[in-house]
Amino acid sequence: MLRDLWDGLPVLVQEVAVLLALLAPLLLIGGWLLRGFAPWPLVRAVLWRFRWANAMFVALIAISVGMGIGLIAQERGLRQGTAAAADKFDLIVSAPGSEMTMMLATVFLQPSDVPLLDGETYNMVANHPDVRLAAPLAFGDSYGDAPVIGTTEDFARHLSEDRIAGRMWQQPFEAIAGPAAPVSLGQVFTPAHGMGNEADLGAHGLVDFTVVGTFPRTGTPWDRAILVPVEAVWEVHGLANGHAPDAPNQLGPPFDAAYFPGTPSIIVRAEALWVNYALRSEFTRQNETMAFFPGTVLSNLYRVMGDVRQVMSIMAVVTQVLVAASVLLGLFILTRLFQRQVAMLRALGAPRRFVLSVVWSYAASLLVAGTLVGIALGVVATAAISFVVTQRTDILVNASLGWGEIHLAAAFLALTSLLSVLPALATLRQPVVEGLRA
Amino acid sequence: MSLPLAIRDLRVTGPSGRVLLAVDALDLAPGSLVGVRGPSGAGKSTLLYALGGLLPAAGAVRWGETELLSLSEERRTAFRAVHIGMIFQDFLLFEELGSTDNAALPAMFAPRASRKATREAAAANLRHLGLEPGARPVASFSGGERQRVGVARALASNAPVLLADEPTASLHREAAETLIGDLVVLTREHGRTLIAVSHDLNLLARMDRVLWVEDGVLRMEGPDAA
Repeated sequence: MLRDLWDGLPVLVQEVAVLLALLAPLLLIGGWLLRGFAPWPLVRAVLWRFRWANAMFVALIAISVGMGIGLIAQERGLRQGTAAAADKFDLIVSAPGSEMTMMLATVFLQPSDVPLLDGETYNMVANHPDVRLAAPLAFGDSYGDAPVIGTTEDFARHLSEDRIAGRMWQQPFEAIAGPAAPVSLGQVFTPAHGMGNEADLGAHGLVDFTVVGTFPRTGTPWDRAILVPVEAVWEVHGLANGHAPDAPNQLGPPFDAAYFPGTPSIIVRAEALWVNYALRSEFTRQNETMAFFPGTVLSNLYRVMGDVRQVMSIMAVVTQVLVAASVLLGLFILTRLFQRQVAMLRALGAPRRFVLSVVWSYAASLLVAGTLVGIALGVVATAAISFVVTQRTDILVNASLGWGEIHLAAAFLALTSLLSVLPALATLRQPVVEGLRA
Repeated sequence: MSLPLAIRDLRVTGPSGRVLLAVDALDLAPGSLVGVRGPSGAGKSTLLYALGGLLPAAGAVRWGETELLSLSEERRTAFRAVHIGMIFQDFLLFEELGSTDNAALPAMFAPRASRKATREAAAANLRHLGLEPGARPVASFSGGERQRVGVARALASNAPVLLADEPTASLHREAAETLIGDLVVLTREHGRTLIAVSHDLNLLARMDRVLWVEDGVLRMEGPDAA
């Protein structure tokens, strides 16, 4: 009944309700302690008196809160970024093996030595009536830090959402470059065999590609890639080019199985989304092929990571609470320094609750300030880390402040505002006369 | 109008069970100005604290109709808030606050309805004592000025009883004389009761009566009274 009512609420209302529930202890304690009192001049005086120590406390709280928020927002941003990177890859068919390895090779362009699928298998996939697009891939060459990948025009258009500037390739040795690739429109380049330090610069010495088109940012590692006709890659490596000798200049499908050198994976796009499941089971054949959804592989990965995330969240909260506890211990020591004034307040007739309200408001001010600064720090840190991650991996990571982080900060405030009643109570334990005589 | 004081069989004992203060009987009419003197450590401040209900004690301390020692700690605190103003040797001000905030401190925990009146009374008291109400931190004030802020604070809730613990001890002579004059005038004008613990003979000379405390025992006359 209540469950239904809750589930029926808009998400925003739910999030705000959770936030208010988390802030309730803070508001309740504050409301109860401050009711009927006006202690702010004293709170300001104490904040000012210990301003350097207070600034240090706020900084400590802010850093711990900021780190917690940054960590969690970053993790979510990375998850969303990697999921978005896999968006264009509905179904992948490859030789049986590790789905993770194949996904890393195909979606994230981290190729490793994998068995190839032959031409008959490729044609079987490509000619299936429910398959709209079946792209072979040819990895292994590079230019600078950009992988040079052989594929088909259809896939290049699919990847770039048909937003190619310049034009599509028409010759085997023309190329389309991603926005992060180190080449510009019209540039001529010679790919090296292999990647990185192991690249053999001279291997393809006589081959020149011309960049005839570029595609805009996709937010995936493919942004650094240079796409070329798959036929060109095969030819450069001295293999058949996928077509019979009587059609030497053809680019793209259909391919002739007898002249098909093999592809590590086939990127499949179905005519309709719902047939993907049927295709997956159809293309999963014992010892021959394996078909999988990269999205599913990623979500399995996230599920494993989800436990890690929870542990991380708990660790972040524990760290924050430990920092807050040491800050409260510091406050406890500081409050000893105004023991005489507390005694004076009592001697002047200030109720216990008033003294509590002064010390608690002082502690809560530091906690609230630290948390707010921490949230700001978290946002800045998250943006900075996202920028670096995007630069280094080309996976577009848009980590932003989510309700999860706000709730985390609110939970932190709730817990510590409860804890900060303790130093306040401690100041009341000392007898008034001892305080006056101190 | 002030409150009469009646003490019967007051005993304050220390943690070891030693009697720190013994007063068999003391009656003070409302509006009395009473000095308390005696050697250091004799129990003068203890007497003052006991009169304010700041110490656990046996016996009876009756201010008007209220028997202070029979009240709970919190009720005694509430009684002080309304009926007793306290003045301390080293002022015990909030150094970061201005004269107004310090003098109107009781307004911060007073009922909302009386806050404004308390603040106005504090400002009037400050002016009466020759100080301009303001926000300049009292840390920059002279000792005499600070003690006058302390007096204004004690008077802020218009308490009928003032308890002063060595009010002139931290002041130089001239400031002390001014303060004594102000204190006496402010007390007499409003018929308040003032009980001041002091070694300051000039202050004691202005009191109606001087009590003597020695070894924790209150005597009606000092050794030099005769």
